[in-house]
Amino acid sequence: MRHLLRTVAVVIVAWLASAPLWAQTSAQRTSPWPKQVLEAAERTPIQEGGRVKPLSTYAGFLMLRLNGKRSLATPEGEKLSPTAWMLDALFFPQQAAQYECFMVQDIQVIEAIGLKLEGKRKRDRYSFAELEPGFSKLFSLAQQYRHIEEKQRTPLQQQLVALAMNVDEYDSLARHADFARASLPVGASESLARIFDGRQSVSISDVAANAAKLASLDVQLAGGSASPEDRQAAAAFFHALDDALSDATTLALCPPKRAAPADSAWLSPAEAVASSFRSRDSTQEHIELLAALERAARSTGDMSAFTEAFERFSAKSIAMANARGEFEKVDLEVSYYRSDLLGKSLVFFLLGFVLAAAMWLAPRVKLLYAGAGIAALVGLGCLIGAIVVRCMIRDRPPVSTLYETILFVAATGVLAALVMEWINRQRLALSAAIVLGALGLFLSGRYEELDKRDTMPQLVAVLDTNFWLATHVTAITIGYSAGLLAALLANANLIAGFFTGRATKLAPMRKTIARMTYGALCFGLIFSVVGTILGGIWANESWGRFWGWDPKENGALLICLAQLVILHARQGGYLRDFGIAMATAFQGTVIAFSWFGVNLLGVGLHSYGFTSGIHTALWSYYLAQWGLIAAAGAHYLWATREVREPARSTAPEQSLPTP
Amino acid sequence: MKSPFDRAVAVLSSLGLSCVLLMLLALLTWLGTLEQQHEGLFEVQRKYFESLFLIHYAGDVPIPLPGAALVMGVLFVNLIVGGMVRMRKGAATLGVLITHVGIALLIVAGLIKMRWSDDGHVTLYEGEASNTFQSYHHWEVAVVEKLDGQRVRESVVPEESFAWARSDEPARVTSPNWPFALELRHFQPNSRVFPKGPMVQSALPVLNGFVLMPEEVQPENEANLAGLYATVIEPAGARREVLLWGATSAPHTFEIDGRTFGIELRREQFVMPFTVRLIDFEKEDHPRMAMAKAFSSDVTVIEDGASRNVRIEMNEPLRSHGLVLYQASWGPSNARPGDPLFSTLAVVRNPADQHPLIACVVIAIGMLLHFGRKLVRHIRVEAKNA
Repeated sequence: MRHLLRTVAVVIVAWLASAPLWAQTSAQRTSPWPKQVLEAAERTPIQEGGRVKPLSTYAGFLMLRLNGKRSLATPEGEKLSPTAWMLDALFFPQQAAQYECFMVQDIQVIEAIGLKLEGKRKRDRYSFAELEPGFSKLFSLAQQYRHIEEKQRTPLQQQLVALAMNVDEYDSLARHADFARASLPVGASESLARIFDGRQSVSISDVAANAAKLASLDVQLAGGSASPEDRQAAAAFFHALDDALSDATTLALCPPKRAAPADSAWLSPAEAVASSFRSRDSTQEHIELLAALERAARSTGDMSAFTEAFERFSAKSIAMANARGEFEKVDLEVSYYRSDLLGKSLVFFLLGFVLAAAMWLAPRVKLLYAGAGIAALVGLGCLIGAIVVRCMIRDRPPVSTLYETILFVAATGVLAALVMEWINRQRLALSAAIVLGALGLFLSGRYEELDKRDTMPQLVAVLDTNFWLATHVTAITIGYSAGLLAALLANANLIAGFFTGRATKLAPMRKTIARMTYGALCFGLIFSVVGTILGGIWANESWGRFWGWDPKENGALLICLAQLVILHARQGGYLRDFGIAMATAFQGTVIAFSWFGVNLLGVGLHSYGFTSGIHTALWSYYLAQWGLIAAAGAHYLWATREVREPARSTAPEQSLPTP
Repeated sequence: MKSPFDRAVAVLSSLGLSCVLLMLLALLTWLGTLEQQHEGLFEVQRKYFESLFLIHYAGDVPIPLPGAALVMGVLFVNLIVGGMVRMRKGAATLGVLITHVGIALLIVAGLIKMRWSDDGHVTLYEGEASNTFQSYHHWEVAVVEKLDGQRVRESVVPEESFAWARSDEPARVTSPNWPFALELRHFQPNSRVFPKGPMVQSALPVLNGFVLMPEEVQPENEANLAGLYATVIEPAGARREVLLWGATSAPHTFEIDGRTFGIELRREQFVMPFTVRLIDFEKEDHPRMAMAKAFSSDVTVIEDGASRNVRIEMNEPLRSHGLVLYQASWGPSNARPGDPLFSTLAVVRNPADQHPLIACVVIAIGMLLHFGRKLVRHIRVEAKNA
């Protein structure tokens, strides 16, 4: 086994060390990408992650994985979008190799692979060319560390493995268009010369167009009827063909010949050529697609020729996808990312935050109240718009991934808070709505950056049911949302407690907060209980049991139990407003545990929800929340000591103030 | 002066007791969740959720706790007495009452499932058929007597009859169908059989050169292979020692008074009132990915000479005669294209199968009624204040 692994590592290093065709291309892009090329590239469909999506989506998440953000500055200072960067990597690979697109979190990684680069910070970005001298060491180390379980790896080992994977992924991309630049030598083979009308060299699309003849030739040569020179030249030709296609496997750009349900997997250029050999029936459309890409790859010195060729390639690819009924969502997805509704929503919530802060400082200025309300409404509109578009793209209910739970929790939380504000017009719920919206959108952005994967992935078989996603998942997520809104309001109550005596003018406001907290809690309980039972019914339909004490199920039960305890304690008079605020704030951490915490345990049936990298954020929230509860409790005891001490000494029958 | 009975009823129906029990249940749920990182679900379930009492170790510190079964039992009484019988009845509490009825129904469904349900699986290769399913967790000793022709008579000894016989102290079993008595001892929930040699150390008896080696019980119970020693005691007093192991493919056979018997240790088996034949199993992946998009088994259900074709797939089980058959897994996982595949269908017999759905509707109605009423009142008050 060890010998095999060593062999694999050597092959990878040797492959990386081999000079790709792009190393021989010297073309430089001297002007920005024309708008038409960028638009055509963005709309070009590609199959990745089990679905057809725009090339721009693929480029965006790839850049996020490598670069840590969705834009990049070239050494010349040009700011590139993910699509422009991908076009450079494909068509100007030598130039793109100079772009600092590999984010390295710790310079120790660079030192570990034997590089010493001046002028770099501890956390910095590096170019492919800068890292290249260290590849041999990088892949050798990564090969060792990949066999250590992920949880057991040190941060340095983890970063080395991640960098090796990123370099590998980028290099595959940069080599991908080599096939389109390749010229295969026909040489002295008479047989080949006959097939290719006497041409000295041919392209891959020429090969695909003559696949049937070439396949027959292969049989003839194997039969021994050709001369030794002919056989030798043909062998060299087929060897060159293999070489040219060996890297053209990364991007599945070619829709298959047969209709969609029968043949769902798209083909990479290498697979398209191989398919033409297998069936001996080249698809004219595939040949045209490859030829257009070849023309583009060979026209990098003439941008207008490139533009024309690339637009033709993109249009052809769109037409083929359209014919299969697989393009209708691609343009919508391009628009979704272009419009950046989530970014706009965050801007409005931040604007609302500023206006709300001013509103509390100048409570009599009604314009500020109206402004904050409008900002919150517009922010919510953008957020709901984004969720609706995502539903349309995926043909799914609003929540089917952990990422989408964040968006939905934010949207429903803001909506619930705005309804509360509409009912009581005390400015408190409006402020809570704005905070919840801004926090939710900030978290969703951070989650996307941490996860670095397509946020519209395909689902595992058990989740492939829109009925249960629409009922159980939606209900449980609304439960999270209302519970967190209650926790946020409870926090406001606890914080207000530090600044007020028991009978100050802020006491009525705290009463209002307590009422809203109770309302949010009741609203949350309905959805948490119904959502949890629906989850059990779904489990009964899928796995044959209503309840299996799986961590995610237990998390949902914990939320219900926490909310039930609070409401029963309130009903029994064991907790009053302040005690309810403390318990509800704690209930917020129970929701966080159920929502994200159980996923970190790494056990259970709900493996589709596993994620990493949120450990620190989660513990920060737990500690901050528990710290606030403890401090508020201590402050309460200190503030009410005078009431309690006489009560003990002089009037034992008098009841103590209930928290 | 309240009588002790009245005081007990007051305590049992109190909201204070509800709060304590709900908090205890939350604590047990939380501990049982965290414990799953170290122990398998089956063990955790038994220790925390199906027990009356337990000792939880916080590091090396033992903490005695009531088990979730006890807590839920008392909670059920508290719910019935306090939340239904003694609760003030009126329009204001109607929603709460309905909600409590729904929760009681849910708990009753859980009790029915725990007490009267069976579960297991039937695994079939394409073309195979079966009218039995076998338990994932429980074992039984089966004694089969060969009668005339193809007929056999089968008697089974359930696991609870011998699971306690872990030592040399035997569980003695007799049957009017047998001309012998059976003693079962040294039951091991997980074990392997080895030829006895200098490297094999076991305190258990060596039989015909073989010995049972106890192994650590695996967290996933399906991975455990039980073993035990059986002694067949003939009427004349002759003793025949047999080593039984759960992975043996054929029963151990012997003859007494000209009658042929077979004995084996196997996973508990249940007979279905119909036969299932697997026609085709399909696993579809998402394109260009190693992620399953769908699993499905096309089966023929044969019953009283009639047959019908049914597709069983994820989220679409087959329900028939109180049994529910689900698509659970498939294999072999290393099968190449064209290799024969098997499909594992989980089988559950649960008389309360649909009760949670009814409970869910009842609870939702109750809560909407209660909280809806409160919301309407609140809006009216706010409107008046405005």
